[in-house]
Amino acid sequence: MRRNDLVQLAWETLRLHRLRTGLTLAAIAIGVTAVLVLTALGDAAKAFVVREFAGVGSNLVIVVPGRVETSGGMPAMGGTTRDLTLEDTDAIAHQAGTVRRVAPFSLGSGTIEYEGRSRDVRVVGSTSNFLEVRKLTLSGGQFLPPGDPRQGEPVVVLGQKVARELFQGQNPLGQLVRVAEWRLRVIGVLGAKGVSIGIDYDDLVIVPVSVDMKMFNQTGLFRIMVEAVSPESVPVALGQVREILMRRHDDEEDFTLITQDAMLKTFGSVIDALTAGLAGIAAISLAVAGIGIMNVMLVSVSERTGEVGLLKALGARRRQILDVFLAEALMLSSGGALIGVAAGVAVIGIAAAIWTNIPLRPSLGWILLVMTLAVIAGVSFGLMPARRASALPAADALRGRS
Amino acid sequence: MSASPPAAPGPDGAIIRLDHVSRVYQVGESEVRALDDVSMAIRPGEFVAIMGPSGSGKSTMLNVLGCLDSPTSGSYRLAGEAVESLSEDRLAEVRQKRIGFIFQAYHLVGRMTAARNVELPLIFAGVEPALRRERAQRALASVGLARRITHRPDQLSGGERQRVAIARALVMEPSILLADEPTGNLDTRAGEEIVALLERVNRDGLTLVLVTHDPRVAAHAARALRMRDGRIVED
Repeated sequence: MRRNDLVQLAWETLRLHRLRTGLTLAAIAIGVTAVLVLTALGDAAKAFVVREFAGVGSNLVIVVPGRVETSGGMPAMGGTTRDLTLEDTDAIAHQAGTVRRVAPFSLGSGTIEYEGRSRDVRVVGSTSNFLEVRKLTLSGGQFLPPGDPRQGEPVVVLGQKVARELFQGQNPLGQLVRVAEWRLRVIGVLGAKGVSIGIDYDDLVIVPVSVDMKMFNQTGLFRIMVEAVSPESVPVALGQVREILMRRHDDEEDFTLITQDAMLKTFGSVIDALTAGLAGIAAISLAVAGIGIMNVMLVSVSERTGEVGLLKALGARRRQILDVFLAEALMLSSGGALIGVAAGVAVIGIAAAIWTNIPLRPSLGWILLVMTLAVIAGVSFGLMPARRASALPAADALRGRS
Repeated sequence: MSASPPAAPGPDGAIIRLDHVSRVYQVGESEVRALDDVSMAIRPGEFVAIMGPSGSGKSTMLNVLGCLDSPTSGSYRLAGEAVESLSEDRLAEVRQKRIGFIFQAYHLVGRMTAARNVELPLIFAGVEPALRRERAQRALASVGLARRITHRPDQLSGGERQRVAIARALVMEPSILLADEPTGNLDTRAGEEIVALLERVNRDGLTLVLVTHDPRVAAHAARALRMRDGRIVED
């Protein structure tokens, strides 16, 4: 028997029962679409997180004061937590060979005022290095000038939104503003950056670290940001920073080192689990579609008992009758899979157009996997009815008995 | 396609030979002997009518002769070959090459044209499409339906449908034609036309075995078997 004839015989049957064929196709297509859309959501969530943390910079090591760890015993037994200081920052900058830049990071919040308008903002204190370390851009003016971090001038760099809201279209450069009762001159405005690791860089102001610490009467830094010379040297840099700080802190590890890698790993595995869960739910809908195929095929077989008998009388072999029914199942499942892929890609495309900040896109890997699964499901669920059809005794089948 | 088995009759000159053939069905607790120790022989080219009341075993006889059903006991030789020893696939091959079937209810496939219905056996025999079409058209022309090849069964009269079925039975050029009440669903005139067609085919050399209730149809046959309770009571 020729393959074209098999396809044509199956096609004739499927075309005759348009409604049944359509519903089965829809069932499979919905299953396939569900798998594609849900896995795309999982992948997008992961890509979203990766992108957020990629903004941290893959070279970055962040030093946080205090030990973020749940170890046994009383927390107080570990001794007191020393502040991170500008001296710590200097030590890392001068002694760690694999470190390119170090930026101190202090944080306060206060009110910024200009000509009667005021706004509550976060006030970040740092040095000229902060611009490169945090991968910020300027939309106008200049950033904090280099020099001794202890001798900060009374200047301020405004976040994009702060500049817009406070100056209402006027040029802020060179103007004097009042920040937490300190009079500071605006020397620059940041480019748009948005939220990165919990801080909105559009809605803050940056002042020299010494100014910030005096302004808010702080003794220690909020963070030290350390940039390694390359992503590969991050592990070495991590060890050097730890060693330098422990030496300065009486051999106590009263600080925590965070890297982008570590954060990505934590979030990545959580999201992988989420994606697997979504894929599992989607797989169930695919299985339901497969049972739909089996149902349709069983009805088809019992309806066509007489026809099976006729084919046997005309000399069709058992294997050929099996093939005819399997061809139908195969065409239903692959047709449904194709429709499902098209619908899934369309849904993902529409969703991506609506939620532009979520990196939604269909993945070829999932498409191939789900199509394979759909065809396997179609054929394996179609096999049982096809077997039953081919095993009908010819004489009984001719009389329409199944 | 494997080589066609020889259509020659067996050593004793019979194309069909039944020896003590029984076919027993198990219906619940009781046994039904649809064929009860039947022996008979049919020579090539014969026209045999099988008559008898309902439940006398006529249809079972035809199913056994057509290799659609196997005897419970006894021996059936078709062209000298012991059928009961054949595998299911070999039986399908025997049906494909040696036997043409005609049914009371025509058994045409409703969604297919007359031509495609006639092509069906050729499709399963793996004949290529161009040759298939040609053979189907020739077969339809031989039953007088050259102008009906693209009609579907529901566009044809009962007599025309049965002629499509005959064309389908003939298209594989079998040596035996088995007809189960071929005129049962037809009016008298259409029935006579069908019988005339079958007679013509028989004159061309085909062995024809025909089951019928109708004595007028049976009268055309050179030989009539009468059955009752699974036995041949008259030959």
